[in-house]
Amino acid sequence: MIRKRSITEANIPSSSMADIAFLLLLFFLVATVINVDTGIGLTLPRYVKNIKNVKVPKNRMAALLINASGEVLLDNQPISMFQIKNVLKKRIESKIDLPNDKKLIVSVKTDRKTKYNTYVQALDQIKQAYFETRDEYSNAHYGKIYKNLPLDEQKIVKSKIPIIISLAEPESVKK
Amino acid sequence: MKFVKRRANAESGIPTESMADIVFILLLFFMVTTTLRKVDVIVHFTLPKAKAIEKIENKRLIDYIWIGRSGRIQINDSIVKMNQIEPIIYRKRQELHNVIISLRIDVNTKMGEVTDVQQELRKADALRINYSANVKL
Repeated sequence: MIRKRSITEANIPSSSMADIAFLLLLFFLVATVINVDTGIGLTLPRYVKNIKNVKVPKNRMAALLINASGEVLLDNQPISMFQIKNVLKKRIESKIDLPNDKKLIVSVKTDRKTKYNTYVQALDQIKQAYFETRDEYSNAHYGKIYKNLPLDEQKIVKSKIPIIISLAEPESVKK
Repeated sequence: MKFVKRRANAESGIPTESMADIVFILLLFFMVTTTLRKVDVIVHFTLPKAKAIEKIENKRLIDYIWIGRSGRIQINDSIVKMNQIEPIIYRKRQELHNVIISLRIDVNTKMGEVTDVQQELRKADALRINYSANVKL
């Protein structure tokens, strides 16, 4: 049973083509992420051959120790990864009004077998503690969060709450 | 058996008016999918996730060091050994004195290796680093 079809002129409707192109453009515009590098920034200490040990008063230090299985000690007290932020925040806040040479130093020390991920999580917690303290301080004094402050005020907040993170070398590096 | 050639009677022609649009779409597609990347990343890695993340606005300053799942280290286009890092980075720092070294390290890398790389960076006096991480939601 073959029915004969009347053959019509075939053509593609082209009026909607522009719309389709426009939709595609929109789709790609929305879906593309312009690759920006994000991460946790740090400044390493300068390389010196003879390491001098500088004594730092105990109440200035927050010593963070991470062992190979990812357990964390903060000032010799076991602590879970997610509590680091809150504990540190209180300590940072208590030192806001102290002079610069008495601000908190957070020291991070890992084992050589610690996973990189664990280390980054700990650093993240520390950074979060600092950022949140900065935000709260700027909110209380200038009514804005740190990011929205003008540059000179950001500087003041920065000098009040400087981020001092000391990366201690794993034991076996020292030899 | 005979093959009977059957031809359609309709006029066959490709509509050319839409050609411009098609080309336009293709152009768009390629423009969008092309990533301007200088180097091929040979090593495989998964970046860690973190919340307190900063963006590096100035892409020109960044140089990458990759450490892959297998523990191989890549700078530029090649796999390097630990003792080769210092001269390479030192040269980079001479060209660009405020270079930021972005460390793209796999989550399961041991800290020992990371520290060794950092020691090399310190020796090369490239002190600004960035632990590359993705945003944790």
